[in-house]
Amino acid sequence: MRRRFDLRSVLIALAAPVLAILFSVVVISVVLLAVGDNPFDVFSKMIEYGTQPRTEVLILNSATIYYFSAVAVAIGFKMNLFNIGVDGQYRLAAFAAAVVGGSINLPAPLHVLVILVTAVLVGAMWAGIAAVLRAYRGVSEVISTIMLNFIATGVIAYLLQPGRLAVEVQGSNNIGTEPIPPSGQVPGMAIIPGTESKVYGLAILAVLVGFGYWFLLNRTRFGFDLRATGMSESAAVSSGVDIKRMIVAAMLLSGAVAGLVGMPQLLGSSYSYSLDFPAGLGFTGIAIALLGRNNAVGIAFGALLWGFLDNSAQILDLEGVPKEIVTIMQGTIVLSVVIAYELVRRYRLREQQRLTGQATAEPTGIGPGADEREGAPA
Amino acid sequence: MTTTTPSVELSGITKRFPGVVANRDVNIKAQAGHVHAIVGENGAGKSTLMNILYGLLRPDEGTIHVDGREVSFASPSDAIAAGIGMVHQHFKLADNFTVLENVVLGAEPTRGGRLDFEAARQRITEISQRYGLEVETDALVEELGVGDRQRVEILKVLYRGARILILDEPTAVLVPQEVDELFDALRELKGEGLTVIFISHKLDEVLSVADEITVIRRGTTVTTVEDPRSVTARQLAELMVGSELPVPELRESTVQDRVMLTADGLTLTLPDGRTVLSDVTFSIRSGEILGIAGVEGNGQAELVEAVMGVRRPTSGTVHLGGEDVSHWSTRQRREAGLAYIPEDRTRSALLLEAPLWENRMLGHQTMAPNARGPLLNRGGARADTERIVREYDVRTPSIDVAASALSGGNQQKLIVGREMTGEPQVLVAAHPTRGVDVGAQAAIWEHIRNARAAGLAVLLISADLDELIGMSDRLTVIFRGQLVADFDPRQVTPQQLGSAMTGAGEAA
Repeated sequence: MRRRFDLRSVLIALAAPVLAILFSVVVISVVLLAVGDNPFDVFSKMIEYGTQPRTEVLILNSATIYYFSAVAVAIGFKMNLFNIGVDGQYRLAAFAAAVVGGSINLPAPLHVLVILVTAVLVGAMWAGIAAVLRAYRGVSEVISTIMLNFIATGVIAYLLQPGRLAVEVQGSNNIGTEPIPPSGQVPGMAIIPGTESKVYGLAILAVLVGFGYWFLLNRTRFGFDLRATGMSESAAVSSGVDIKRMIVAAMLLSGAVAGLVGMPQLLGSSYSYSLDFPAGLGFTGIAIALLGRNNAVGIAFGALLWGFLDNSAQILDLEGVPKEIVTIMQGTIVLSVVIAYELVRRYRLREQQRLTGQATAEPTGIGPGADEREGAPA
Repeated sequence: MTTTTPSVELSGITKRFPGVVANRDVNIKAQAGHVHAIVGENGAGKSTLMNILYGLLRPDEGTIHVDGREVSFASPSDAIAAGIGMVHQHFKLADNFTVLENVVLGAEPTRGGRLDFEAARQRITEISQRYGLEVETDALVEELGVGDRQRVEILKVLYRGARILILDEPTAVLVPQEVDELFDALRELKGEGLTVIFISHKLDEVLSVADEITVIRRGTTVTTVEDPRSVTARQLAELMVGSELPVPELRESTVQDRVMLTADGLTLTLPDGRTVLSDVTFSIRSGEILGIAGVEGNGQAELVEAVMGVRRPTSGTVHLGGEDVSHWSTRQRREAGLAYIPEDRTRSALLLEAPLWENRMLGHQTMAPNARGPLLNRGGARADTERIVREYDVRTPSIDVAASALSGGNQQKLIVGREMTGEPQVLVAAHPTRGVDVGAQAAIWEHIRNARAAGLAVLLISADLDELIGMSDRLTVIFRGQLVADFDPRQVTPQQLGSAMTGAGEAA
């Protein structure tokens, strides 16, 4: 009986995102019709372009980056901590890692390791500031991480100047950190047939982080404490969880993963932190964590979907359709997913209560009046 | 004298909630010009019934007639339109508005699109004089006392033209003198031909004001007393609780020599300077239950938190089995064998969204069978949850349902089962049977008795004096953060306890 129950709940769990995506397709179709485009054409163009091998590589690469970002956000979400600061954490971490990576020379695996560890530590440290403020001074992490994003921007802008930590990028008027030598680079993987383009080597790290995230949350005492705190702080306290320590630990972990967001780009393609290093990935992570319901596998699908939309939209400009249409689509997907999940959550609760009601149907017969009502239809 | 059409008639009302039948076949007839009292224990289904009558809930079965006409309420506005008004136990007034503004709020008289306060003032004055409900119409509500606020609530209802008033536990917040004033007002109201439905569990008050009394027990109407003079408060109480009510009692003493829990000079001063615990000292031996009686808010919650390590006392020590645990964390104390049934199960003892087997781990997530080193032992936890569900008769279709799907009694049985597992040395039980049905209550008492016989030391805090007297080996009273009096539960009466709880009879 349990198996059937489980199959049912899997179907229900899948229903929410599928319905949400369908709903946003409808919304976007209406928008497209309103601006005079044929939605069917637009979608088929996106799918056609998005399934080309070269684009598939781009999608995987985007998804790798998004995945780190979304897991970082999800760790906070699991404890009701809103780490808006993933953005500042990964930029500062990537910058510091680029500086360290460009200034040392070590054998290949060690060089990469030092860069990654630097990124993780800097990301954790930057999140740690917000964690300590929240745990010991009661400062909302929402406010402090937003502030820290701005401070990170300022710090990087100050240090990334010629004469400080920046050098001119050859053949352009861009400036960036000293390039990381080949020993500190992570080679790509040519795993998609039909194209020369390579998938980031750190995509493997993303898979490992995803597994680690799932394992930590669902299989360890620490993860149980973390989830318990997220579900009910007062119950967690009575169960013996030290809330302050949990806040600090969760934020540090979130920041550590955030530190990895910039790594695929840094170690896989740009090899230096320059003025045009991608920004704003932390906010994308928030949307994808919501989409994936903080679930390791769900986030992977969310990241792939996001990567698909971002990259396949590039064709639209050529077709005369504004590619910003995809931003609307992403927005409606997130909104409708959040609503769909809430509806499903309520439905599930009612369903469970109904089942429990059946299981407890007899005991309501206990007590006065039971005798004379015996045999009455239930 | 009741041959006329009743002004309110509820027949065959049944209301089911998931896992519980809140009302079953309820029948009530209230006459115009009468005060009709509805009495019953907490959780007997009074509030559900009144919410049905006021249109907040819809009955699954049964009919409502008002003045002989069948009605069906989709919302309170329908009920108000039918002349039914409700005065809630907790006032719903805007503090920064005047009495006048509060009364008209939501039913503002307008003239040419503008508020017409003069017309409203006249009507309010007229109503208040007619029914003897004197209040200053221009006073701010925040400046009024509790009794005045209640009069404003009643005025509000009358202003909307109610002919049938529901008063939900109206005396709970009043001092005796205000109760008398309220009852005078109620007599005026019924003298004017209004129907008053008066919900209470204070039997003496009910007997003094009601013309008829309906007793509700476990969701259904047990009887209606047509002449209150014909019954005593004791008889009413027996009707309320039923004769098969389990009696909390201990058999022979199982107290051993070994002291398990000692609190020494526990004092807690809050940052705002209030002292909520003052030099609390007690010790509990193996196989002994120490009951702490007290009016809620006299430091019981803080004492429990200090013993559990949730809150650090300003001074004083806690010893567990001879070891000083004053600086231990809650987790260390739990691992050392301190079990805990918190006062508020949905807030402090359960993860409502999590499945039962995860809830079984809560508070014991570092101990066998739930953990293996730093990892969770899911199989062990699930198997042990099955055992608890079986042994403690937790009624649930599966251990995979969320805790919120269970009824209160079943939730509590799961908590008790969880806390009794793992051979605890000391149990801190705050209101262990609060809000659970009679069957679950008896089962929980039995489990505590068995554990006591096996050597468990129990700190029992309860608002239920019968439970305290029946289940304790020793009794002490907490008043304003101090333990003020010790009693032998075999000799003490609830009256003696009650007066100690209110600080009467204490020289200090």
